[in-house]
Amino acid sequence: MTELIPLAVLIAKVIVVIGVLLILPIPLTWLERKIAGHMQQRMGPMRVGWHGLLQPLADGIKLLTKEDHIPDEADRFMFKLAPIITLVATFALFVAIPIGGSFFLFDQEITLYLADMNVALLYVLAVSGIHVFAVILGGWASNSKYAVLGSLRTCAQMISYEIPMGFAVVGVVMLAHSMSLVSIVEAQGAVWNVVYQPLGFLVFFIAGLAEAQRIPFDLPEAEGDLGAGYHTEYSGMRFSLFMISEYLIVVFMAALTVILFFGGWNDPNVPLPPTLWFAVKIGFFIWVFMWFRFTFPRYRYDQLMSIGWKVLLPLSLANILVSGLIMS
Amino acid sequence: MSETVLKPTNISLGKRMSQWIGWAFFWDLAGGLSLTLSYMFSKPVTEQYPDKEKWVPFPRYRGHHFLTTNEDGDTNCVACELCAKICPCDCIEVVPYEDLKGNRRPKVFNIDMGRCLYCGLCEDACPADAIKLGPHYEYSTENLEALMVGRDTLMGMPRKTKTDGGVFEAELSTTGAVQVKVAENKPGYDWWQRIRRH
Repeated sequence: MTELIPLAVLIAKVIVVIGVLLILPIPLTWLERKIAGHMQQRMGPMRVGWHGLLQPLADGIKLLTKEDHIPDEADRFMFKLAPIITLVATFALFVAIPIGGSFFLFDQEITLYLADMNVALLYVLAVSGIHVFAVILGGWASNSKYAVLGSLRTCAQMISYEIPMGFAVVGVVMLAHSMSLVSIVEAQGAVWNVVYQPLGFLVFFIAGLAEAQRIPFDLPEAEGDLGAGYHTEYSGMRFSLFMISEYLIVVFMAALTVILFFGGWNDPNVPLPPTLWFAVKIGFFIWVFMWFRFTFPRYRYDQLMSIGWKVLLPLSLANILVSGLIMS
Repeated sequence: MSETVLKPTNISLGKRMSQWIGWAFFWDLAGGLSLTLSYMFSKPVTEQYPDKEKWVPFPRYRGHHFLTTNEDGDTNCVACELCAKICPCDCIEVVPYEDLKGNRRPKVFNIDMGRCLYCGLCEDACPADAIKLGPHYEYSTENLEALMVGRDTLMGMPRKTKTDGGVFEAELSTTGAVQVKVAENKPGYDWWQRIRRH
């Protein structure tokens, strides 16, 4: 009986994580539209509920009841598979994300993460690569030129930006002597990594913007020139699966930035519960993502590539070199 | 900006250096970000029509016509048909008759609001100051027939506003006709003055 308790706790945690992740895009869409509105001196959604709070629910009902259209010449199996892969890959990312330390409940240690892998950092970088796979499948299966163009761009962009991103976090790993996200956060108890690794943070954050396909790197779904990119042909529920995973990747990028560079749930002097403090930091970075979105125009495709290969990659390598020299 | 950069002779080395340093630390991006941030915490200029606010026009505004009335509640119109003559889109139809007091009055006074272009020439032409264009502008309908307005309706339409225009507090009412009612005795504001300029 007693050996079943950890299993029950684990299942409960999985259910909570899935529930929270499924609900999270609802406030985020509202927030994004509100922030967009106020940055343009508008008010954003105001009609449904108090200050439009119920607008995402109305949108959800609309998406659920909409016709789920599959183009005639699409590859039906792959077309249906792509949104599922993207959602599964995104959910799998959050297995490795810790949201706090551990506490004791009825003499049972409850950890606030699903898995503390010793290669968690490698795991999240690899699994975020699977998302690209889903995007390419979706674009290819749609049998539409805009969708294929969008997914080709995604492919090139993701591969280009995953390299500087991977190099940018090497400095963090060197400081923490571990790839486990929990140990990385614990190593930042005194000083946050952003103090030691400002360049690493900069490269990571810019590459993270590109990974999350946010403006100014949202070329995969450039509404202006591609329709909607890889999900041009998707509608109804399948489209909303893509949207959910997109918002979750934004949350994931914000969470990873906080864990790697801003001390995770470590609070210097603020008397807040660690998990709440962590959530506040994530919220701030999500807001920064939205702030960028409504400030900057989109980069041109060749500019995107040259930033990735000619600026970010050398910078991230120099960062490793300099931090290695200083530490040795 | 870009032209001066392309011609390095025009610009001193120190200035170019500071420009490059600025770019390296995203100084230009910071400018854009601070602008959108200041906008985010400024007051939205949205006129919340029809939920909370409504634009009330100036007296000179040309909206839905009305026929002025005298003390007896009778129309001032003498059915001279000058308005129908001058109307550039031929949307006024007047049929005169002699009422019990012996005055010449319109038996039929129809305006096709679907055809009217709100030029106000009928108001200028009228010798009895009977037809005027008022402030009313919310009369969309679902069929064209409802846009054919008769004499009695015109006599009951809102008169010209006494005060200057502006955005006033209001509320949406759907009892009877769908209309936005302006709240009484609340000061309005000039929407244009709230727009942020640089």
